[in-house]
Amino acid sequence: MRTTSLLALTLSLAIPPLPAGDGQLTGIIDSHIARRSGGSLSPVSDDAEFFRRIHLDLAGIIPTPGETRKFLADASPGKRTALIDRLLGSKDFSVHWTDLLSVELLKRQNLGKVAPGEWQAFLRRCLEQKPHWNRIVHAMIAATGTGPDRAAMKFLGTGGHHQMTRDIAMLFLGMDLECARCHDHPSVKTWGQDNYWGLYAYLSWTKAATNSKDKKEYLVEVLGKNEIEYQSVFESVSDTTGPQLPGLPEKTVPVLAKGEEFSSPAANGLPPVPKFLPRKELAADLTSPKNLAFARNSVNRFWARLMGRGIIHPLDQVHPGNAPSHPQLLEKMAGLFISRDYDLKWLLRSIILSDSYQRSSSRPGKSATPGPESYRQALPRALTPEQLLHSVLRATGNLEKTRKLKADPAKKFDRKGYFTGTHQELPESYEEIRAVFIQTFGQPPGEPETEFTPGLNQSLFLMNDRLLLSWLQPADNNLVQRLGAFKTPAKISENLYLAVLTRLPTEAETTDLGLYLEKNGDRRTAALGELVWALINSTEFRLNH
Amino acid sequence: MTGQNNPHACLDPVHEMSRRRVLGVLGGLAGFGSLLNPTVSRALEKKEKQVCLIWLDGGISQYESWHPRPGTRFAGPFRSIPTRVPGVHFSELMQHTARIADKISVIRTMETKDPNHSTGVPRIQRGDPIDRGVVYPYLGSAVSKLLGPADPALPPYIWIKPGNGGFIHREAGFLGARHGALALGDGRPPVHIHRPSGISAENDTARNALRKKANERFRANRGAAEIDAYETSYEMAERLMARKEIFDESALSQKDRERYGSHPLGRHILQARQLLEAGVRFIKVNSYHWDTHGDNFNMSQRLVPQVDRPFAALVEDLDERGMLDNVLVVLMSEFGRTPNINSRMGRDHWPDCWSLALAGCGIRQGAIIGETAKDGAWVDGTGYDIGDLFHTIFTVLGIDSKRARYEHKGQKLAIAHDKCKSIREVMS
Repeated sequence: MRTTSLLALTLSLAIPPLPAGDGQLTGIIDSHIARRSGGSLSPVSDDAEFFRRIHLDLAGIIPTPGETRKFLADASPGKRTALIDRLLGSKDFSVHWTDLLSVELLKRQNLGKVAPGEWQAFLRRCLEQKPHWNRIVHAMIAATGTGPDRAAMKFLGTGGHHQMTRDIAMLFLGMDLECARCHDHPSVKTWGQDNYWGLYAYLSWTKAATNSKDKKEYLVEVLGKNEIEYQSVFESVSDTTGPQLPGLPEKTVPVLAKGEEFSSPAANGLPPVPKFLPRKELAADLTSPKNLAFARNSVNRFWARLMGRGIIHPLDQVHPGNAPSHPQLLEKMAGLFISRDYDLKWLLRSIILSDSYQRSSSRPGKSATPGPESYRQALPRALTPEQLLHSVLRATGNLEKTRKLKADPAKKFDRKGYFTGTHQELPESYEEIRAVFIQTFGQPPGEPETEFTPGLNQSLFLMNDRLLLSWLQPADNNLVQRLGAFKTPAKISENLYLAVLTRLPTEAETTDLGLYLEKNGDRRTAALGELVWALINSTEFRLNH
Repeated sequence: MTGQNNPHACLDPVHEMSRRRVLGVLGGLAGFGSLLNPTVSRALEKKEKQVCLIWLDGGISQYESWHPRPGTRFAGPFRSIPTRVPGVHFSELMQHTARIADKISVIRTMETKDPNHSTGVPRIQRGDPIDRGVVYPYLGSAVSKLLGPADPALPPYIWIKPGNGGFIHREAGFLGARHGALALGDGRPPVHIHRPSGISAENDTARNALRKKANERFRANRGAAEIDAYETSYEMAERLMARKEIFDESALSQKDRERYGSHPLGRHILQARQLLEAGVRFIKVNSYHWDTHGDNFNMSQRLVPQVDRPFAALVEDLDERGMLDNVLVVLMSEFGRTPNINSRMGRDHWPDCWSLALAGCGIRQGAIIGETAKDGAWVDGTGYDIGDLFHTIFTVLGIDSKRARYEHKGQKLAIAHDKCKSIREVMS
């Protein structure tokens, strides 16, 4: 060993450090979680639990019963890793993660001039290639609307300076700086007003402008102030700041001689382009490896997405007063993410391969439920509106048919009227059905979907919605129809549980099912629908556990 | 799940109370606590404070209602009539309310700041507090947050309005979606409260028994808070479905329907009475199209009686039922209308001196508050700001409006404008 270390040292001087090995982070995760567990850990999940979770996380939908059977029967030792790699490369992955990222970044708002479809396509393109998170964020923040990634501009909305400041601070630094616009944060000592206005200064040159030739709107930068003046509502003294990111040096805006400020003149109704472009600088400074806060916040958010809770939690409270549950793990993960050039799929894969991710959501042994920050058992997460819709459709055997439904332009579906009861017809297109689910299960536009609270209106919907109940009528070889063809309770139970809960039933569950069918022998089809309904409405179904 | 309480939140008593309640529930239905037997009028038995806000959107003309000035340069064609309070006159369009003037207070010197609807309505309904860079809740969301539900089986904030209903989050502001309103579009509850006709009560019970069994099994070795929250949301759904008779208009007598009037505002105020009796904490009833820039007098002749009748009937009924001690009724708009009559025989927006009415819950009876000058055009002396009204409302509801604080992201926020105070003259 000693003899090789000198060689390694020599090599490390000659070439850049090697990227972290594929399994490196996975091992680090498990050792850190074990070290700070403070009690026994739940065992690794069985194949069925893992199979459902991995499909929901990577493909955004529960698997088909056929896929589940095949996976359960597969005896090869590397089947989990092979499955993870297959899903990470699938179309479903890029579709589902486009939804996730889009909701996180835009909070279901449709602002600015970029069509939602173009924005989705931009994210899809990024995810289908080898997604580097720093580059995606750079593209969104530096976007002006020119070039093939015009749609990246969607993130900036209408280019409102305060809106951009708040969103960038929250999403990419984990800092909810809303309060710090008007005064230093009252309880978070390290969040000063200068943090808010330093970030604002980077964005304050941005302006929407329309190109008179192509009539499109662009988010350009115009010559602005080098320093932004701000005042606390509590004090009458003003302060100034140039562009600055928290914890990094203030940026000096170059002072250029009159006539020398621009790199190109005004054209087609667009103002002249300054040589110094602060927002473009922000895109680079924010995503630079020197800005550890960005890498740390990124891994914390992706970790929370898969693990149900941030190492720093809540996600928008990243500051020294809110200690991480696993500080060293977070630092190592951030460092490795940087050394892997912010490779998103590598990060997800490394987390998912860990025992910590794959743990069962059942309690470890007979002990009391451990605190969530210990990650001793897998933490249940609410399904997103999209996951829920697609999973309900797949479980009930209505997915393929429903996905193909197109709106009839002659018919106008009145969604508000549908919820009030004045519009009797069911939504007929996939888009409208999706909108109905998002309205019921999503947060209102503009509110981040970090906090999931099961609502009364959601339960009422799942109990009584006529559209949902229509999916439980036998038709087109859907689940209820298929179950009707089986004779024995054992067969029905097996097919029902595999289709809805992605697992085989227990003996007790099959016995209960048999009793229910026996009791309702004269109304067998309705009873089968009720059995499906009960599982769709179960907590087990509504959680990714 | 990531829905943890912010550990950096301060420990204001207001928040402690709400935190102890069951995990929040979207749609204004937070905090259904224990499983109590849903007997009617639980709130009444316990003498819980309740509110009915009648909102005339667009701005009722004070000259054609509370503050007629016949014979002056600003007068319209209507006479003024005496009321039950000696020396106090209302417009002849308010004949029913004139009969019960001894049970209400009228403030004639509201002086607010916003002459525009788009900012006027939210600004007034939020109480126009000092700008702290956050979006304040509307009054209904505020009361629902500060007092919680009066009956744990019922949503704390119901909004009866023309048009569509649903779960309306936007009024909750920074309190979060769960403190929004359950809106009844033209009085109808959300459609999903109804079990589809194809499912009998018996089968519904049976399918829910299956669901509960499945949940029991799932939670056997889990017991996470998330699972409890999901089950709670179903319990609440079942309880509200069991109480849906509180939304049943057919339970109301023909005589009451005639007394309140058959137009939407009359029906909706009658329904508000029904919901107050059932024990809902806060009910807002909206009426639109009071913005009489043109043809003010014909419009007022049509509109004012539509509120006069049911408002008087509501106050009478609450009084008769002994509910007026604990139910506050507020009748108002976002501003009044100009003294000057414009070229289209209309009156424009006038925040500088306008009127509103209050009744019940310790509000003085038969009081007229505030002196006006220049034929009712201006306040004589100091007027009352909307912040003063909010302090007053909170105070009569038993909330210490000067000391209670919301907590939002570590900030303590006053519940009403710091520089305003309760209107003592209107409180008995």
